[in-house]
Amino acid sequence: MRPLRFILLAILCLIPATVSAHGPTRQKITLSTEVAAPPDEVWAAIGNFQDMSWHPAVFSTTGEGGNEIDATRVLTLGEEGGPTISEVLYKYSDEKRSYSYRITAVEVSVLPVTNYSSHLTVKPTDSGGSLIEWRGAFYRGYPNNDPPENLNDEAAIAAVTGVYKAGLDALGSRFEKTQ
Amino acid sequence: MLLAAAPAAAGSFAYVTNQSSSDVSVLDIDSRREVRRLPVDGNPAGIAVSPAFDAFYTVSPETKTVRRFSLASCALLAEARLPGGPLGVATAPRAGLVFVSDWYNARVFVLDAQDLSRIGELETGSAPAGLVVAADGSWLASADRDSNQVSIFELPAGTLRARVTVGERPFGIAEDPQGRIHAANVGSNDISIIDPLTATVTATVPVGERPYGIAFAGGQAFATDQYADTVSVYRLSDFNRTETLEVGEAPEGIDVTPDGSMIVLANWFSNTVSLIDPASLDVVGEIGTGDGPRAVGRFIHEFPKGDVPCQEAPSSQ
Repeated sequence: MRPLRFILLAILCLIPATVSAHGPTRQKITLSTEVAAPPDEVWAAIGNFQDMSWHPAVFSTTGEGGNEIDATRVLTLGEEGGPTISEVLYKYSDEKRSYSYRITAVEVSVLPVTNYSSHLTVKPTDSGGSLIEWRGAFYRGYPNNDPPENLNDEAAIAAVTGVYKAGLDALGSRFEKTQ
Repeated sequence: MLLAAAPAAAGSFAYVTNQSSSDVSVLDIDSRREVRRLPVDGNPAGIAVSPAFDAFYTVSPETKTVRRFSLASCALLAEARLPGGPLGVATAPRAGLVFVSDWYNARVFVLDAQDLSRIGELETGSAPAGLVVAADGSWLASADRDSNQVSIFELPAGTLRARVTVGERPFGIAEDPQGRIHAANVGSNDISIIDPLTATVTATVPVGERPYGIAFAGGQAFATDQYADTVSVYRLSDFNRTETLEVGEAPEGIDVTPDGSMIVLANWFSNTVSLIDPASLDVVGEIGTGDGPRAVGRFIHEFPKGDVPCQEAPSSQ
């Protein structure tokens, strides 16, 4: 029976452990862009957790709870019926022009990450403009050892970087990017 | 003899694993500066300083490597590759052992503290993360994250004493000065307090969002809240939460200086450690680190006053 037991063990090792497991190394990225528009104007455009229409990849935003802690939203990407990302708000400050949220549900085929959290902040610059900063922390999409290429650390970083860059580029066009 | 009556002071140093930049920052807590940036391959996370072995141990999950370094010189003394997903590390000085959790395979490796050879394995629940050995050396406990339990093993025998159900997804674990186990539950945002003798949960303390690590000073516990960017403080006498302190972003590993005068914690996103005075409960300083400091484990050691560890060797040929 030893060969069979060995085979069963080998198969068990291939099954992802549980949904809450994650890769060994947490990743983080920070992207930012500077624009000429004052912080209040930029914050008015992006500071509503229930409206992510400023991001070109987002087709629609539906949610509950406004900008209160634990408010939720579902982003539909691309087109009606497109893939979705479910998120929850866990920090919000009008004064600091900043909010923080987590992804509660997304397919790794849409965004290859797990345990994703993010901060969006608008800071004043010396010249009266705004620094828009978007930061993310996450684990790769594959929770176990030896990930396939499309779900490894590099894939996760590349995907999140792409999302942030698209959003910040759109804001740069809208609010006169300065650098 | 007046000149000889100098105070028996000491200086505390933190050995902080920087997971993103793959190195260890050696920090002088008193002068608030980094005295050495030591390259450690493979995205190190777990750390355990051991005065008894005059060593600190690091665990790099990406390369599955455990290493032993000299506390005083930072020289690499031993290293070993492990299978699976090594993550947390703790030392048992009296038994001459080092324990390393295997995040992927529900076990703890038992290693020789000197040469890091594998002596055996202990079976845990799913996804063991933080490890702690009792100050008196009588037990080892592992936080089995995906089984919502803490496993307690007799030392030095390694036999299972108990599996204790705690909150949701315990990750960090520590022993308080009264010998109780505190397990930080990242899923339920609370700390389970366990009596290791009866193997029962005697209290549960609500803290901030996603608690990670715990340290103790002045009759209080300090728990890092990874998502809230805070440290929650609760009393050890009645387990009432008393304060919430703002620190850097994504605080993780936390420890106390041996004299109890300073709490030090790693801010993973900010690339700093924050210093908390446990008497005043003020954040009194910050020191820069490498990228992605985690410091999962015990990471502070004390040297005689004036001694500075890990100085770069003079470059003379």
